[in-house]
Amino acid sequence: MTAPVLSARALTVKFGGLTALDALELSLEAGELLGLIGPNGSGKTTFFNCVTGLVRPAAGRVAVGDVDITGAAPGAVCAAGVARTFQRSRLCLPLTVFDNLMIGNHRQLDLGLWTNLVRRDRLRRQHDEGVEAARQLLAAFSPSLAARLFEAAASLTMIDRRRVEVCRALIGRPRILLLDEPSAGMTHDETREFMDDLLAVRERMPELAVILIEHEMGLIERVTQRCVVLSYGEKIAEGGFREVAAHARVRQAYLGED
Amino acid sequence: MDPGLAGQFILNGLMLGVIYAMVAVGFTLFFGVLDVIKFSHGDVVMAGAFAALASYAGLRHAGVESSIALLAGACLAALAVTAVLGAAIARFLVLPLRRSPPLNTLLITLMLGLALREAVRLFYPNGSNPKPFPQLLPTDAYAMGNFSLRADSLILLATGILAIVAVHLLITRTRLGLAIRAVAQDPETARVMGVNFERVVMLTFALGSALAALAGVTNGLYYNEINFGMGLLLGVIGFSAAVVGGLGNVYGAILGGFLFALLQTAGAVWFSVPAYKDVFAFAAVILIMAWKPTGLIAEKSVERV
Amino acid sequence: MSGCMKTGIAVMLALAAGIAFPVLLLEIERQWEIAALGAGAVAVLVAFRLTGATARIEAAARAQPRRAFALSLAVPAVAAGLLYDAHFALLMLATVALYVTVCLGLTLQFGHAGVVNFAGAAFFGIGCYATAVLGAHTPLPPLLIIPAAGVAAALLGSILILPMLRTRGHYAALITIAFGILFKTFLEVNDTLGGPQGLKVAPMTLFGWSFNDPIVLGAGVEASFYLAYAALSILLAAFSFVLVRRMERSWLGLSLDAVRLDETAAAVFGIAVARWKIFVFTLGNFLAGMAGSVYAMMTGFIAPNNFTFGDSLILVSIVILGGLGNAFGVLPAALLLLVLPEKLQVIQEYRFLLYALLVIGILLFRPQGLLPRPLRTYFVPGKSA
Repeated sequence: MTAPVLSARALTVKFGGLTALDALELSLEAGELLGLIGPNGSGKTTFFNCVTGLVRPAAGRVAVGDVDITGAAPGAVCAAGVARTFQRSRLCLPLTVFDNLMIGNHRQLDLGLWTNLVRRDRLRRQHDEGVEAARQLLAAFSPSLAARLFEAAASLTMIDRRRVEVCRALIGRPRILLLDEPSAGMTHDETREFMDDLLAVRERMPELAVILIEHEMGLIERVTQRCVVLSYGEKIAEGGFREVAAHARVRQAYLGED
Repeated sequence: MDPGLAGQFILNGLMLGVIYAMVAVGFTLFFGVLDVIKFSHGDVVMAGAFAALASYAGLRHAGVESSIALLAGACLAALAVTAVLGAAIARFLVLPLRRSPPLNTLLITLMLGLALREAVRLFYPNGSNPKPFPQLLPTDAYAMGNFSLRADSLILLATGILAIVAVHLLITRTRLGLAIRAVAQDPETARVMGVNFERVVMLTFALGSALAALAGVTNGLYYNEINFGMGLLLGVIGFSAAVVGGLGNVYGAILGGFLFALLQTAGAVWFSVPAYKDVFAFAAVILIMAWKPTGLIAEKSVERV
Repeated sequence: MSGCMKTGIAVMLALAAGIAFPVLLLEIERQWEIAALGAGAVAVLVAFRLTGATARIEAAARAQPRRAFALSLAVPAVAAGLLYDAHFALLMLATVALYVTVCLGLTLQFGHAGVVNFAGAAFFGIGCYATAVLGAHTPLPPLLIIPAAGVAAALLGSILILPMLRTRGHYAALITIAFGILFKTFLEVNDTLGGPQGLKVAPMTLFGWSFNDPIVLGAGVEASFYLAYAALSILLAAFSFVLVRRMERSWLGLSLDAVRLDETAAAVFGIAVARWKIFVFTLGNFLAGMAGSVYAMMTGFIAPNNFTFGDSLILVSIVILGGLGNAFGVLPAALLLLVLPEKLQVIQEYRFLLYALLVIGILLFRPQGLLPRPLRTYFVPGKSA
């Protein structure tokens, strides 16, 4: 059996006296789509922040494949092949769609002064390659979006902004994609559309492993193979969606049932 | 060092400290309630001092002789002018920019400070020259060696401390204070709970600015001179004090005010050239910021990702 | 008339107007003439826009950026040539060019990377004092003193890098404000640097030719010695402009924008936030130092009063007024804020008040400035891909 593409061992995060994540064990296989669910404040986003280097763990380890990324800087985590989206959209709204995608592609860009300031012909070649890659990726989601490559991100609708955010995470060809509540702020129809997009991405990138934080249980049920349920920073259940949904502790955490 | 001289330094330091703390408390109030820096605050101090001077001249002209009446008149005029000015700044400059980047507010109030400074220089009679500020408090002195303690210094010191304590009590013990704290905590919730957001912000600005007027009058009475440019340095020092203490925290502002005065006094004592005191104090501020990036009493804020 | 010809005529007219305006502005003295010139300028701008000439010129400039750049460099050069014997006008022209250089540095820092700098005048001043000291105490040729003064400003600025990286927002603003005031106070109390009286500065020399010698053009015709300084200043401003524009239209500018707009997201995608902040802070201060160096050589004399907090605010005002982040906006804004008060004595006395009210109005009603920054295009669109 191959090593999991992402593994967390006894991962613990504390904010002052509060334990936001309590000895979490989690592993993710290549090509898997894992749902991470739990009530508000249960530590889901904290887990993403900890993996991507925005928050340092108090204890435990995180590894991408064989590479230990525990407490690594965000840039190093990115280099290891992890990309994410944010709960509240964090696109650079005054910039064009293309610029936003190139931020996601930042590790591949040539940042040398000579290329950027003097040898503009070389820059142009990279630029044209970037435009091509961006256009193809966007077109896979929505051809009309691809046509708006050079418009400001601020001019897009909510669902298109989400798509651009996902494309920004995908364009750097990550091994792991972390999606933080992509349906937030979208209508029901938009959520369904987005779900189709997500399944299409998985068909084109079969090796990509995805963790999806979501409150929209319909979305979780339809697209994930396995779910992990958090409550107060602790993992309280793991398994297929129907299985965890029937779990007594999960029902208690969500509904307050005794 | 000669104990009398040391005592003199300590008294001067305390005097400066209380003036700085009064200015810094204003900065911290505005930041607490709206997360903005109102940089024109130093020039509001200046405006308060000039309002006091103008009303003093007016009262003298009207034939008032008693120095208590003159002082009361001058103080009331200063408080009224700056309170209205503060509320107007909140209403017309700060609130309209609520949704823009925070630095725009910093800039617009920086520019307002410049405008106030220039307006006084250009439009106050002979405003470009320093103005003598009248001696209105008893000046009986108690001297011992190199040390002399004057009644007016003691009165000013006590008044300043009382004013800060009063503002603190107002915020912690009254309904208005409760509203201010509610807005500072969470403007949206406060609004839902029936707090009139705009009015609370304007009242807070009026309150902080009135405190600034007291600082201006104290400054004038202590040094017996005011000028149109006095607010710039006072503002920067008050801002530094508030930031060093930790924005949004009244105790931090008081701590910062006295700390800055201590730094200046220490700078004046250590370097044989007293002029280096500001260089030393500002260098220390930069170092403190490098060491504690959000002030000595850290501001509680966690960015949501 | 063909479209091509129309464009040609429009460009010619614009060039003529572009040369005539600064020359007239700097040369005329009577107040009614200045008022008439201002009204005329507005009328010409409106006429250009209404007849579609503005759009034609913009399209032509986009299609042929190199030629557009050469022509726009020619405008101040010809203007300087026409003013060859007017001391004061050339001094103003050079001063505007040097302020533009500093403001372009601030545009990088403040407008692109979001690194606040309220000590622009201090870094300009470091360049001035470095030039005075290097000119008096080292055999360094003046041509090398200019970049050396830039390096001095960048180096002294690096003291602030650590506190600047650790703080954000208002806290970061305080650091540069404190530094600006500290710098000016230090100059005033420090006797080795001349104290409040300031220092004399050696003039610029190039291969033995001193810029302060009058330039003899022919029998009885002498150009002002400011002509050479004006040319040097315009060159420096043009260099800075090309630098800033190329940065903006490259992956470097993209990285800076990402740092300004969202540090957290930038870091998650592997952008080295701290490295970019250090880079722009150093580069911007380097430009300010070089501009200060030329300014010091030109005026021959510097004093702490040239580098107050108020001067730093004027620099920031120019950047905001022009349109934050837009290199093109800096030029008209600098002309407006620097030349107009010199020419209109009515407002000379009130200029700080008017600046302040102007910037307040801009921030309230048009926060994007006179010329809002457009979306980034890396290359001329339509030529490929």
